[in-house]
Amino acid sequence: MSAILRLLFLIVSLSPGLLLLAWDGSLSWTLIDGVRLSLTLTPLAGFFMVLLAVAAPLVALPMLRRPLDWSSLALYVPLVLGMELLLLAGDFISFFIGWEIMTWSSYLLLLRSPRADLETSQSYILFNLASAFLLLAGILFYYSLSGDFRIGPLAGTTFGQELILAVLLGLAFLIKVGTLPLHIWVPSSYDQAPDLFSAFLSGAISKMGVYGLILLLTLFPDALTSLAGRLLEGPAAGYLLAWIGVVTSVVATYKAIAQEDMKRLLAYSSIAQVGYITTAIGVGSSLALAGALYLALVHTLVKVLLFISVAGIVLQTGQRRFKDLGKLIERMPVSFFGVLIGIIGLAGMPPLPGFAAKYLIFVSLVDARWLLLLAAMILASTAAFIYCYKLIYGPFLGHANSPQAREAREAPLIYLVPQVILMALLVLFGFLPGLPVQVLIDPVLVALGMETIGGASWAELTTTYGGYDGVVLMLVFIIAFVLVTGIFLLLRGRMHRAGSPYDLSYAGEVPTEGTPLHYGAGMGRELHRIPLVGWILRRGTRGFYLGLAGQMRAAAALLGSLYVGRPQIWILIAVVVFAASLAAQSMLGGL
Amino acid sequence: MHAVVDSLAMIGVSYVMGFLFYGFYRQFNARVQRRWGPTIWQNLFDNMKFFFKSETLIHGPMFFFGPMIIMAGAFTTVLFVPFLKDSDWLQGFSQYGNLILIIYLLVVGPLGNALAVGSSGNPFGVMGVTRGLTRLMGLEVPFFLGLAMVMLQHETASVHAIMAAQDSLAHWGIVTNPIAFCVILLPFIGSQHGAPFDVVGAPVEVYAGPRVEFGGRLLGVLMTQRMMMSIAKLVLLVDLFLGGATNILVLIAKAFSLFLLTTVISMVFPRLKTEQAVDFFWKVPLGLGVLGVILTVWLPSWSA
Repeated sequence: MSAILRLLFLIVSLSPGLLLLAWDGSLSWTLIDGVRLSLTLTPLAGFFMVLLAVAAPLVALPMLRRPLDWSSLALYVPLVLGMELLLLAGDFISFFIGWEIMTWSSYLLLLRSPRADLETSQSYILFNLASAFLLLAGILFYYSLSGDFRIGPLAGTTFGQELILAVLLGLAFLIKVGTLPLHIWVPSSYDQAPDLFSAFLSGAISKMGVYGLILLLTLFPDALTSLAGRLLEGPAAGYLLAWIGVVTSVVATYKAIAQEDMKRLLAYSSIAQVGYITTAIGVGSSLALAGALYLALVHTLVKVLLFISVAGIVLQTGQRRFKDLGKLIERMPVSFFGVLIGIIGLAGMPPLPGFAAKYLIFVSLVDARWLLLLAAMILASTAAFIYCYKLIYGPFLGHANSPQAREAREAPLIYLVPQVILMALLVLFGFLPGLPVQVLIDPVLVALGMETIGGASWAELTTTYGGYDGVVLMLVFIIAFVLVTGIFLLLRGRMHRAGSPYDLSYAGEVPTEGTPLHYGAGMGRELHRIPLVGWILRRGTRGFYLGLAGQMRAAAALLGSLYVGRPQIWILIAVVVFAASLAAQSMLGGL
Repeated sequence: MHAVVDSLAMIGVSYVMGFLFYGFYRQFNARVQRRWGPTIWQNLFDNMKFFFKSETLIHGPMFFFGPMIIMAGAFTTVLFVPFLKDSDWLQGFSQYGNLILIIYLLVVGPLGNALAVGSSGNPFGVMGVTRGLTRLMGLEVPFFLGLAMVMLQHETASVHAIMAAQDSLAHWGIVTNPIAFCVILLPFIGSQHGAPFDVVGAPVEVYAGPRVEFGGRLLGVLMTQRMMMSIAKLVLLVDLFLGGATNILVLIAKAFSLFLLTTVISMVFPRLKTEQAVDFFWKVPLGLGVLGVILTVWLPSWSA
């Protein structure tokens, strides 16, 4: 029985992939009079379905490790199915139903973690409900404009109407994406969620917000070219969105560096990465959208990989803070390579595909002449090296800092299989940076009516500003590495290993077991001394929300004071005003 | 076959230029300080001495592979920078790359080596790495902004195309885009580990910085890659701002004059702390860069 259920679970987790292969045409039926539901797979939705098809089974696999948590497995099923519905939706009713199923099943899954506290779960559900209500309001407003729930470009709307719609839907999706200052639900919920589910939260669910943002652009026929005029060479309306994205990434990057817990660091890094995607969507050119989609793909691969690796470390050691780990490289080599490949992708280093995505976004910013945005993005992108290094140094290098870290064993096979698959995919895309462009991204660009950017071969990534060849780059690097290592080993002389881990050049002293030699927790603390960074790190959005709460309370008190005084007077005034307006209208002949 | 010979030639040229330039630097520095100084060949001798050490201490496999990664990164970087223009030689694989790729390749190696430093288990080394990454964060912002101004000016990220556009002295980047050159110059010194931004690996700082645990042949590898990387960066700046070079002598002359300029700046300023350096990069070169963007990008678009 249990085996059959587990098989069923795996089949559901594979269903996005099966759907991609088997889906043909579209479904449509009438819900009530005048409202039709329709399911269809647009190229844009197809792209995000690919992300889901990669993330869902790879996260599902390690969840099958015994002892099984049947409730989590049961909740994962509606979550995946809800997201499929959301992506297939050709109308806003099914879109909303899918969105709600996703919100509630992910909330219940979050609650399965023993670490989830009241504040986190409350902020998760409140922010996501706010997102859902904004979405609902936006959908109803959309219906009032177009008279139809079908998702399609709007025609004949005024600028004011477009603005209201864009703000309602935009806010809904930005909450899901987690841009500043709407991000505060993200770090604690990614941190406290069940370890494997964090991978899905970051890898797949946050991408639904990105899908929504791009979908929002398609509602306005001229949005991608000239919404509200042009600024330099890009759309003026996107400039604000781009800055929101960049400020999000800069702040989230510094917050990530300051974290002392692996999962919180990854959570902030997710916020930062999705910030880049938001920026690219703001630029809106075909290069930028290609960059946004590419980064969404890479981020899904990288974050699922990193969160599963970290889940493996937590499983084997029970520790999640940098200061309690260390020197796992010898005990967990596969996880080490998982994190290594993950951070190379995360940092956007060549030759892995993270670089291809960053390259497209950088070039699109130069092309749009938005150089100040580019500089701010470089700041975030370079500062990210520090937290990437912290993420690999803290757990894997240095000295083991807890008994568990000293005795840990490699993560179970069921955790390693998804990691190896993801590493292979990342390396493959490193060789062939043009492959995702031609196979996944170009169809989306065609469907959006934009220029394609695919090159002559899968190995090349081409833009009007020039490109690069992944195969040549990778081969040069590999050959150079092999040659250097070979020549080095051929040189005369021998190498031997230090006798003990305390055999160090320690400023003339001899360190002992009691000497604090692990630098993991303190790394990045000195950044506080840089004025700008210190300023960012001293501030939080908590103050903003406390201020907002204060204002709400003041407004409520004001309303209350009207009522507490003498309600009859206010009712009397209301009746008089009502009567007067009725009288005035009847005299003018309105009735 | 051509590619193999060409690659070897590029690696050889950058190595020779590297030890000669740094040999000169040591002597020049000594004369400024009224010392006699070592011979110009001293860097070559030091390097060879390291390579023929009979004993090398390592702290595990990653500690060994780190310097190999940084060396492979240096080779790759050198091979993706075109050394000459209008020539079949000293091109490496530069037609398969571009400016942004080169900038990122410069960082790949040091990050690989950072893994080795971490696995040595010496906290001073890791402290040095953190300082290095912090400095990188500071200098990369104005450096990249300056490069973006160059890319915008020529509407391409291809170093070949940028070089080809500078066909005469009047079209050299330093003449047509002086703001970008000024923005880049100081971060460039930082990226060359030059004074006054050399706190990361300077002899008296946190014991010895990222290299604290390395010795013997591994230290030789680190020294070699630093000389080659410096040459790659110098040649890149020659390509972008000094019109490139048509033969090897012109290349050496131009690279040397640029090296002399950075050396002279280095010698007269006292060393900055890491956070001071970052703050400086974000105030002076970046401020200049923002001003440049406003002047060259925003103003023309408003007046148009």
